[in-house]
Amino acid sequence: MTEQIGAAETLADRMERVGYLVDDGLATALFLAVRLGQPVLLEGEPGVGKTTAAKALAGALDTALIRLQCYEGLTASEALYEWNYQRQLLAIRLAESHGDRLRDADLFTAEFLSDRPILQAIRFTGPRPPVLLIDEIDRADDEFEALLFEFLGESAVSIPEIGTFTAARRPIVVLTSNRSRELHDALRRRCLYHWIEFPSAARVAQILRRAVPAAATALIASAADFVGQVRALDLDKPPGLAEAIDWVSALSMLGVTELTRPDATRTLAALAKTADDRDAVTAAFGALDGPDRARA
Amino acid sequence: MPASQQGTSGAGPVPPLLRGVDRAAFAAGLTRRLRDRGVAVDLSAAGTFARALAAHPPATRTELYWTARIALVRRQPDLAAFDALFAALFAGAGLGTDPPARRRPLPPTGALAAVPAPTAPAQPGTGLPWATLPAVVGSAERTAPDGPAVPQRLPTAAAGWADVPFEALDDEQVALLDDWLLAGLPRLPTRRTRRLAIRRRGNRAALRETMARSRRTGWEPIELVRTRPVRRPRRLLLLCDVSRSMQAEATAYLHLGRAFVRAADAEVFAFATGLTRLTPVLRRRSAADAMAQATAAVGDRFGGTRIATNLRALLDSRHGDLLRGAIVLIGSDGWDSCPATELAAQLARVRRRAYRLLWINPRAAVPGFQPRVASMAAALPYCDRMLPGDTFTALRRVIDAVADCDVPVRRPVTTTA
Repeated sequence: MTEQIGAAETLADRMERVGYLVDDGLATALFLAVRLGQPVLLEGEPGVGKTTAAKALAGALDTALIRLQCYEGLTASEALYEWNYQRQLLAIRLAESHGDRLRDADLFTAEFLSDRPILQAIRFTGPRPPVLLIDEIDRADDEFEALLFEFLGESAVSIPEIGTFTAARRPIVVLTSNRSRELHDALRRRCLYHWIEFPSAARVAQILRRAVPAAATALIASAADFVGQVRALDLDKPPGLAEAIDWVSALSMLGVTELTRPDATRTLAALAKTADDRDAVTAAFGALDGPDRARA
Repeated sequence: MPASQQGTSGAGPVPPLLRGVDRAAFAAGLTRRLRDRGVAVDLSAAGTFARALAAHPPATRTELYWTARIALVRRQPDLAAFDALFAALFAGAGLGTDPPARRRPLPPTGALAAVPAPTAPAQPGTGLPWATLPAVVGSAERTAPDGPAVPQRLPTAAAGWADVPFEALDDEQVALLDDWLLAGLPRLPTRRTRRLAIRRRGNRAALRETMARSRRTGWEPIELVRTRPVRRPRRLLLLCDVSRSMQAEATAYLHLGRAFVRAADAEVFAFATGLTRLTPVLRRRSAADAMAQATAAVGDRFGGTRIATNLRALLDSRHGDLLRGAIVLIGSDGWDSCPATELAAQLARVRRRAYRLLWINPRAAVPGFQPRVASMAAALPYCDRMLPGDTFTALRRVIDAVADCDVPVRRPVTTTA
């Protein structure tokens, strides 16, 4: 499938078919990641669709998505590989019961290896290379970044007891970061880079139409406009696309076809995630166009 | 949409933009110009760009823009410089349709704006210094003692000056006290991480290590290896007031900030009417260089104070997440031109994110001090502690107070208000 994608537009069309609208920049970034076999680092405000982009890429290429969610304290044994100790102990006991002699080499073979996401991506045997999503890399420790260098640079993982596993076909690697800390230059150097901007109100409406097909057109237009205005307020957590989709889904589920202030107020929890933000949005209702214009 | 894209959207298919162009030379030239504009582009990025041009030959300027941007720029702050360069090079250029244009050399890079060099540090007496007044000169002439002299134990220079108010110290003395402060940072608070490390007194069994070591004992796991969570330095964040009323203390507080930055990777911001991040410049090895660059970086020093506005700016910026779980120190006398209610609202937000909030007030050392300033009174309910900060000894106590934050019990605000 990846060989058939000749241009960024083709990839954009395919992603649109699986329900993800992509702009020129992101389409070029993902296309180059597929064609050059180089990891791509996606950065942007929370909720602009970085993780979903990777999922949609896997859907568009009709291949598997392997996901590694990063967190503080993530170690090699959780990300790369781990020995299956229980099986090793069983093998020892079994050998003892048969009176066999075991050597080191018998116990540290690929048979006793538990693949974790990165090794899974390297040893993947499907018809097409998988998409490996390394999500929120900024949450992991900086030592973990150093652990990734070999994989990101050469698509390989070295296991001291066995040797180096190199991917026959380079997996398509998508890294995402929310910039909660600065990533190391060495990691950036190994990746293509794309900064995802929050889309315009018209594009948000287009995306909402895809994501919540049951919602009324008038509701989607006013909700997209309203979310744009709320983002301009002084909030702790400005709503991203995910929040906008949740909000419109909630409104649609309640049978709302046109945005009104009472409806907006009772579903505000989907949009404003802290008490302060809820107060700020409620206080600004008068100044905002959406619910005030269509007051119930 | 970037400026460079405008005018290309809606254009029909055109022949590849760079037909006949040496891709390597083009990539190298663009890379060099980017570097001249202060964007860090390495060789591998140029190589990636050349390969990307081959993989995805641009047919329009927009495509060239995205290919170049994705391959060459690695950081969001560099995007503005890249956009400017791209617009300067390609806006109005007709490379694809005007072959002779390709033979014309690009404008010399000397025409591009150079990165301004840092200005020299202000000499004493030649302008507004950071904090200190001219040195106090001793008036008494020492006379040669008669007869055998008994050596008298004196404090070291730094310890001797540590109790002198900041106003009476000169630059040299402040620089000496900088090292003295740094020496007082052996114990800083830590936090538990999710990472585990092998420790003799660990409370969990490490299966992997135990198994690996059992190789030496015929696969009998005799030695049980234990792990326990690793502890890391807790994040520190110092907000230093550099307004006119804090003129005497600002430099000393920045020395404290520099000690925190060097020892614990802290974050330091200066504020008066605006907010300035000083962490990178304070990381410099030389205290004089650090202070000189900090002076150059803060454009609004010794102006008015807008604490609440600056706190909101910090909370809303991308550095707002630095406050989460951090020990936040605010060095200020509390004179604020923003309404006290606004300061209280912003401090409430800070308090919800931070682990501890300590306020350093140079006026608090005066006996009988009461926080009568409206802003200070409004801020107190959100502070874990308020500490005096008028001498270097007081700053040492601030360091001790920061170290005490490891104690899990929250202390009441020590104030008479």
